[in-house]
Amino acid sequence: IDLKSLPRPLDSDVESTSVADTHPLNCHPKYLRLTTHAIPNSQSLLSRWHLPLGAVVHPLAESPDGEQVPIVNFGSAGVVRCRRCRTYINPYATFTDSGRKWRCNLCALLNDVPPEYFCTLDVSGRRCDLDQRPELTKGSIEIVAPTEYMVRPPMPPLYFFLIDVSAFAVRSGMLEIVANTIKSRLDELPGSPRTQIGFITFDSTLHFYNLKSSLTQPQMMVVADLDDIFVPLPDDLLVNLSESRNVVDAFLDSLHTMFQENVNVESALGPALRAAFMVMSQLGGKLIVFQSTLPSLGVGRLKLRGDDLRIYGTDREHLLRIPEDPFYKQMAAEFTKYQIGVDIYASSDKYCDVASLGILSKYTGGQLYYYPSFRGEIHHEKLRFDLSRNLTRETAWEAVMRVRCGKGVRFTSYHGNFMLRSTDLLALPSVDCDKAFGMQLSLEDTLMTTQTVYFQVALLYTSSSGERRIRVHTAAAPVVTDLGEMYRQADIGATISLMSRLAIEKMLSHKLEDVRQSIQMRITKSLKEYRNLYAVQHRLGGRLIYPESLKLLPLYGLALCKSAALRGGYADVLLDDRCSAGYNMMILPISRTLKLLYPTLVRADETLLKVWPRSPGPFPLTKDVLDPNCLYVHDDGSRFVVWFGRMVPSDILTSVLGFDLSGFVDFSKVNLVEQENSVSRNLMGLLGRLRAKDPSCYQLCHVVRQGEQPREGALFLSNLVEDQNAGISSYGDWVLHIYRQTQQNP
Amino acid sequence: MADAAAAADSEGIDGVRMTWNNWPRSKVEASKCVVPIAASICPIRPHSDLAVLPYPPLRCKPPCSAVLNPFCRVDFAAKIWICPFCFSRNHFPHHYAGVSETNVPGELYPQYTTIEYALPASHDPAAAAAAASPVFLFVLDTCLIEEELEFVKSAMRRAIGLLPDNALVGLISYGTQVHVHELGFSDLSKIYVFCGTKELAKEQILDQLGLVPGQRAAAMVGGTAGYPKGMPSNGVNPKATSVNRFLLPASDCEYILNALLDELQRDQWPIEAGSRALRCTGVALSVAASLLGACLPGTGARIIALVGGPCTVGPGLIVSKDLSEPVRSHKDLDKDAAPHFHKAVKFYDSIAKQLVSQGHVLDLFASALDQVGVAEMKVVVERTGGLVVLAESFEHPVFKDSFKRIFEDGEQSLGLSFNGTLDINCSKEIKIQGIIGPCTSLDKKGATSSDTVVGQGNTTSWKLCGLDKSTCLTVFFDISPSEKSNQPGLTNPQLYLQFLTTYQNHEGQIRLRVTTVTRKWVESAANTEELVGGFDQETAAVVMARYASLKMESEEEFDATRWLDRSLIRLCSRFGDYRKDDPSSFTLNPCFSIFPQFMFNLRRSQFVQVFNNSPDETAYFRILLNRENITNSVVMIQPSLISYSFNSPPVPSLLDVASIAADRILLLDAYFSVVVFHGMTIAQWRNMGYQNQPEHQAFAQLLQAPQEDAKIISTDRFPVPRLVVCDQHGSQARFLLAKLNPSATHNSANDVAPGSDVIFTDDVSLQVFFEHLQRLAVQS
Ligand SMILES: [Zn+2]
Ligand SMILES: [Zn+2]
Repeated sequence: IDLKSLPRPLDSDVESTSVADTHPLNCHPKYLRLTTHAIPNSQSLLSRWHLPLGAVVHPLAESPDGEQVPIVNFGSAGVVRCRRCRTYINPYATFTDSGRKWRCNLCALLNDVPPEYFCTLDVSGRRCDLDQRPELTKGSIEIVAPTEYMVRPPMPPLYFFLIDVSAFAVRSGMLEIVANTIKSRLDELPGSPRTQIGFITFDSTLHFYNLKSSLTQPQMMVVADLDDIFVPLPDDLLVNLSESRNVVDAFLDSLHTMFQENVNVESALGPALRAAFMVMSQLGGKLIVFQSTLPSLGVGRLKLRGDDLRIYGTDREHLLRIPEDPFYKQMAAEFTKYQIGVDIYASSDKYCDVASLGILSKYTGGQLYYYPSFRGEIHHEKLRFDLSRNLTRETAWEAVMRVRCGKGVRFTSYHGNFMLRSTDLLALPSVDCDKAFGMQLSLEDTLMTTQTVYFQVALLYTSSSGERRIRVHTAAAPVVTDLGEMYRQADIGATISLMSRLAIEKMLSHKLEDVRQSIQMRITKSLKEYRNLYAVQHRLGGRLIYPESLKLLPLYGLALCKSAALRGGYADVLLDDRCSAGYNMMILPISRTLKLLYPTLVRADETLLKVWPRSPGPFPLTKDVLDPNCLYVHDDGSRFVVWFGRMVPSDILTSVLGFDLSGFVDFSKVNLVEQENSVSRNLMGLLGRLRAKDPSCYQLCHVVRQGEQPREGALFLSNLVEDQNAGISSYGDWVLHIYRQTQQNP
Repeated sequence: MADAAAAADSEGIDGVRMTWNNWPRSKVEASKCVVPIAASICPIRPHSDLAVLPYPPLRCKPPCSAVLNPFCRVDFAAKIWICPFCFSRNHFPHHYAGVSETNVPGELYPQYTTIEYALPASHDPAAAAAAASPVFLFVLDTCLIEEELEFVKSAMRRAIGLLPDNALVGLISYGTQVHVHELGFSDLSKIYVFCGTKELAKEQILDQLGLVPGQRAAAMVGGTAGYPKGMPSNGVNPKATSVNRFLLPASDCEYILNALLDELQRDQWPIEAGSRALRCTGVALSVAASLLGACLPGTGARIIALVGGPCTVGPGLIVSKDLSEPVRSHKDLDKDAAPHFHKAVKFYDSIAKQLVSQGHVLDLFASALDQVGVAEMKVVVERTGGLVVLAESFEHPVFKDSFKRIFEDGEQSLGLSFNGTLDINCSKEIKIQGIIGPCTSLDKKGATSSDTVVGQGNTTSWKLCGLDKSTCLTVFFDISPSEKSNQPGLTNPQLYLQFLTTYQNHEGQIRLRVTTVTRKWVESAANTEELVGGFDQETAAVVMARYASLKMESEEEFDATRWLDRSLIRLCSRFGDYRKDDPSSFTLNPCFSIFPQFMFNLRRSQFVQVFNNSPDETAYFRILLNRENITNSVVMIQPSLISYSFNSPPVPSLLDVASIAADRILLLDAYFSVVVFHGMTIAQWRNMGYQNQPEHQAFAQLLQAPQEDAKIISTDRFPVPRLVVCDQHGSQARFLLAKLNPSATHNSANDVAPGSDVIFTDDVSLQVFFEHLQRLAVQS
């Protein structure tokens, strides 16, 4: 095998654009991507497709080009939908009977056109008003929903903060950063002047805050009865931000000093969650939890379960990765029921049972943010960035999502952060542009009769401005009879994204080893099937062949097995890190999944002396490319590792770090900041540009020196996915192995 | 008020008055006396002649422990003193070596039957200083209408301004929930909140307030929590566990408290239609009691509860929140139709026990139009020696002026003292049944405690958490001569009682007051005259009133009127002079002569005729009856009436409807209320404004005089009485008429003098009552 010739994603992001060309009426692929844009017409054909068949949906994806989704108001006509299957009218609907009827493209029912919506047709049978009807020309629209789509008046944006103020939260700097960040973002919270806000802090007791606008300063109300939690005020714990702004400011100003000397190490998270629930349940909203230690008191108290080496490899291994106490899942169900989405910021310096905490976000459409070994001076920028983005990004409130599809196919499973309300309705108390969902498709009939299958994503939500909206994405895909066509239309990004979600879920019920094997198995089967299809005809018996569309499948599969969530065993990744990585992968959009699996490696040294350097790279992720005279930046989208080769001139090091290396240097404590020299400025500029590529995440920067063990291994070498590490083979061996497997007869 | 002064003096330096000053020797004779043998004592009553000795007292050898007193026989040569209680011979210690006939220590001076010792305070000066700082924990009801809340706030502000600088102050406000204000938290106003419905143990409350170091953390040790053992994980800041977070010196927290009061709002929880406000007085008091429990032991502390309505939620519930359910009446209590009553009393009794064990006091200031549950809470007030004031509003002078009094210094000071313990020694033939009054039995049963119990008994030692210069207790005795004491030669003609009261006075000093009294035994059953001569009619009337009240509260189906009547008849049969079955021959010794009238008025008083009042009022009246001295208590039973007219100086008048005249002003002192009653003509003249005309100066003075006197009555009375100014035939006139002897009623209206008045009642008049008494007393 020629290692150099193996395919790698070194050019740019892999985004299929062919669909956009062939199906201009479809919504943009950033909103919906099928794992293959060719739906098999029969069960037997599907059974030969060994990869997952399904879609990745990103309903609120940000448009990079600034193009807004058009807003449609049907006015007195009412929202035009199919009478039978409730599909929203879309560009694939056809009009007949001089424009008085329209045929549903999903179920073929002939519907009456409401009189108010009537328009004559031109000679080719198209409506004359198409240029004024984005719903008939665009794959993505946003409908203003009338009152029938509300069970109550649209809720105001509501941010409720549940903040750990125990000793470590204070000492680590978390509290101060959080207080400052919230305060600095108050002007940018969406939905002003309706936005509501409230706070609870907790250690071994719960502290509520009366923020009534007429008060000169907030009033702190301590509730210490953890067995019977109650709310100490009927109102004023949740207030209108603009009315109570002075009190909120005063509160955030004093929050840190108030607890400065707190030596309480206890954490009554469970009772605090209950309390927050009581305060929020009237309105719903976003609950943002800051947790700095293992919950130790009251309901939901967690044990130091420990990461037990002996359990790895046994059939009890997966139990480490699922919550032990049903409290968190029950609480999540309650939260979802009352339209409360939960984001967790876990910033412990030791085990804090991310597996249990993350469940709260998983089932409420929220997000888990995990900061292992949290230290304010290292993490402050990342925490500030993450929290700021959370507070200022456009958020959809009290949402539900349903994906309809045409006759013959059906979505059977959904993967991401949500609560399934009925078989196909996803409850999303809050959802935003950083959340994507995977789903698997199955055929209902043994043989499909239609030529095209349609999909329609509908997200019903309340906007921060207080409008009820329905975001609708419609797409069509051809039905094919040929496996080859399926391979040709395969979408590696969607496939890997869905595969990774399935793998993470499998990890919750299986050993890591089993999960990795099943990934390899799928790839092998798929490539073997392909080989059977084409090997003879191409007479290429001696080589591994793969379809062009899936050429990166082995590499991404390997990377998936080496991801923090699935890599190795006990010693390779700390349990909390592993669980956090798993939760994270469940929500990622395709591009971020791919970047995470195969990070970018660029070299920075040569160019540091130049203004606006264009750094060489990206390079294949193997240590073979590393030059000890050089400096590299490894970027997986959420983390930078800046690697200094052993031979990097000391003046460059000194310039970058701001101090020389004559003394003992603990690189884990190095926080790269811009120094007063061009070398440093250029490096920071490079990092800044890398960060600017994706506004959804902030790369925390680690500095590693070549040979500095074990940090170099843990942070850097283990992420060179093409090398052999964590007991998993190198890229070359992996391909070789798969090749051999495909050669074997079944 | 020369009368009052004289009466006060009649109690002398000892402050002891007895129903009988000569005691029968046997149990049988005692029971024939009808009126119980009892002493009314004022344990720390001030007296100008009281001496304070700067050294600790000498005590008789245990178990007697009586204190050396003027009744001891002293052998100066042998340096020995003989205890009059146990007859033990005690050697004087070395530092008394100098005693001789000409050099006796103060405690042996014959006039110092009552003397006070200044005892050294605790050895730890810091603890002593802390103990000397009185603690005032305000417990403020916020389920009030806006207006009332403002009234009570301004009363609080005034009180805070009057507090001594070293006093420690705390604040709890409550409504649906309890708010404990952490005054020592400087960053912002911090409140600990307790649920109003949940009964919590003291330990739980202290734990929740963070006053038990390590408690919360300790719950985890050995568990599986996230920290290895041995790590300093139960990191509780020592500063943070101190009760001083909640109790601050008045000088330090005046500003904070005032700011807090400014922002203090009515209870924020909505009140449902048809419901009362949710008011958790029970939990609030429980939290207050526990908070004080975290103070240094021996600290003089009082909870000052300002209550504006009944407890409607949680433990100590007086009435449900449902407005359709009225607060229990005497009828309900009588018919056992007050579903919450006994449960509530039990709860408040537990608070009383807790406070007594801590040595702390509950003062109850109830201001409401409806009842607030004084009847149920009485047990706490009375057991802890607290003060109680019942008013209609926080604006009413009865509340406002009384409330101010407790913080006042100097002349006006109530002399509020703390942490009292009363021990009683008595001669061997005497047993103590118990005490009625503001104290709690310490359950130290001794040789002198009787098996028959009245009030707080089964002990020789009582706790008086709160006591002041007017505190009064009634001690009931049993005569139980032993074999030995009946032996001739050994009998002592005198009996001895010694009252030992240790307490922390209002200046924070520890004192021991010793009062030793002697009385005569009446040797033979035949010696009725001696018994009669020693009868104290006023004390007897008051003791009967207190005893009857106790029985009404504690004995089911007790018929007080009947019991009083029968007692009076038995007493008259026993001590009257008459020929059998000849009513006209009946006469009473002057020592008994006014007793029947006392009984007549007692029968008609609020203490016996409870149905005219609410249970709260009754409880209030009884608490005061039990804690006031004899003179004041007599006024409660039989008010005094003074008549003002042009022709004569003010004169005492008969408490009779006949005292009403058109051209007179009457001043009735019924203790709880003081009524100025203008005769018809006087009222007319006043309405025409004659008093403003220079030629009618005398009239102006006549109008002024009773008002002045009423003011004088008010100044040294606590609680301040309700002042009623009314006119003849006016609606308020009932306050006077209710107290008068109905010698003329609507039934006898034909022979009434013009300008006089009649009372619309079917009650019998004093004359009729007396006739019945004579008839029944002489019956064989
Ligand atoms: Zn349809
Ligand atoms: Zn003795």
